[in-house]
Amino acid sequence: MSQQLSFDDLERDFEERAARARAMGGAEKLARRRASGSLNARERIAHLADPGSFTEFGLFAQSAREPDRSRSPADGKIAGLVRIDSRPAAVVSNDFTVMGASSSTTNSRKIGHIKDLAVRRGLPLVFLGESTGARMPDVMGARGIAAGERPTQYRRMRETPWVSAVLGHCYGSSSWYAALSDFVIMRKGAAMAVSSVKLTSMAISEAMEPEDLGGWRMHTDVTGMADLAVDSDEEALDAVRRFLSYLPSHHKEAPPRGPVGASFEPDGDRIRKLLPLERTKVYDMRKVVDCIVDRDSMFELKARYAKNVVTALARIGGHVVGVIANNPLHKGGAIDVDACEKSTSFMVLCDSFNIPLLFMVDQPGFLIGIEGERRGAIGRVMNWMNAISLVTVPKFSLIIRKTYGQAVLNMGGGGNADVVLMWPSAEINFMDPRHAVTIVHGVKREEDPQRFDELFAEMAKDTSAYEMASAYNGHLVIMPEQTRGTLRELLESTGLRMTGGIGEHLMRTWPTSY
Amino acid sequence: MAKMKVHSEVTGSVWKLLKKPGDRVAAGDEIMLIESMKMEIPVLAEEDATVAELHVAETDAVQEGQVVATLDAG
Repeated sequence: MSQQLSFDDLERDFEERAARARAMGGAEKLARRRASGSLNARERIAHLADPGSFTEFGLFAQSAREPDRSRSPADGKIAGLVRIDSRPAAVVSNDFTVMGASSSTTNSRKIGHIKDLAVRRGLPLVFLGESTGARMPDVMGARGIAAGERPTQYRRMRETPWVSAVLGHCYGSSSWYAALSDFVIMRKGAAMAVSSVKLTSMAISEAMEPEDLGGWRMHTDVTGMADLAVDSDEEALDAVRRFLSYLPSHHKEAPPRGPVGASFEPDGDRIRKLLPLERTKVYDMRKVVDCIVDRDSMFELKARYAKNVVTALARIGGHVVGVIANNPLHKGGAIDVDACEKSTSFMVLCDSFNIPLLFMVDQPGFLIGIEGERRGAIGRVMNWMNAISLVTVPKFSLIIRKTYGQAVLNMGGGGNADVVLMWPSAEINFMDPRHAVTIVHGVKREEDPQRFDELFAEMAKDTSAYEMASAYNGHLVIMPEQTRGTLRELLESTGLRMTGGIGEHLMRTWPTSY
Repeated sequence: MAKMKVHSEVTGSVWKLLKKPGDRVAAGDEIMLIESMKMEIPVLAEEDATVAELHVAETDAVQEGQVVATLDAG
């Protein structure tokens, strides 16, 4: 007579299988990771998520190749649902201790399923990246790489926020999802590239270090693909939480309202001390932004890339805003190709997730020159204009000091913002009057100072905030200390009241990198 | 000691040197001012360091990206 199985037997078997799957790549590999200061894939989820909130999908997934089944617990990628600050989200955490977290048939099915669930059901998606790329030999040959049933695998329509943390070597899927994400944090020492150093070195017969190919400096300073670089896994995961705290869970929801900042009294005095009225002097615009927004609410994205423009999420009176601010400390605030890309990309993010935009303006125009033209400056300027025209979230433009040229429009003037505010320090013109005198009249100051000064007076007139207000090209002239209160009122009274705070998302399919 | 090259972010001319070789600088300190677009634009130290060498003199023309100073990190 055969022995009848009991539920106790089934439970024992279930727990054994689960324990084997949760053991990841084994004790020795996990110990090595711990010694190196890295969290493992499951520890990363535990740090990110509210305690006990992880519901795992695919614990028992394995490689489709029979010889690899027993050595591929969860098939190297751990996925499921979590709560982050009590809000549901989806997570994919690469387990580098299992076959380098390489991509395979089974785990691609797993990620595809989680992604599909997230975008159709309104869940933010978090990728914890560290992977070697496609698994070999599985992917080799015509039946390998060319197999696939998911034409939308890399389609991004910004239904929900996507965040990537680059926490180790990221080649293949970890890089692709970072490129598609709204916010990317890199751990220093991690690397992100199309292919591994080994393969790249062989292909181009040149030795290199991972840091040179795709380290944090490359991606925060040069490519702008990483928004932030941090020193540890824990800091990266904390940054994921912080970024998500400014965003709605999905694009049919308004951003979460925070408490009004601890101190909401006017900071006009601080601004007066920070802001030089002499045209030749520069200052750090971030300090002025800090005076306007709720205390400690400023969260800067891409701080090391195109420093001449600041892009930051913040709150004013508890309302989330996206700030785009020229920074005169760098390049005098002049706008170059990288600044155009940074600003455009940030507008797409904010507009896609119902975050009003605040432009803070102090710029001498576009940075012109051969290098910019070689990089397609004309196209970048127009991308920005196209984007700002497609924005349907509220746009406010605050002119602080000078604003010149076509960039007047890019920064919200000329009808490109819903409300234009000016401080009395504002100066608005087509061109720096000094250059205009020489270009129009051919007179240089060193050659004929008296005539130059007469012509300069002519070119420099009618540029004040009051002239702009006189023609109703600007809507309010306010003192700096009135700014916080005025913006709070505008956010509350002129937000997307008729649609519950939801915009039209006309840029939801804008490219994720360009 | 690691050497850090400091680049000018703008094309212009050296207006004023604010540090000399041997001076300690903290992250964010101004090393020199470049005149460009009728503004005095600072060249900043990215990290705490010691000025090893200045490669330009006052009134020199500089190009965007030109190395204007070398610092010893730390």
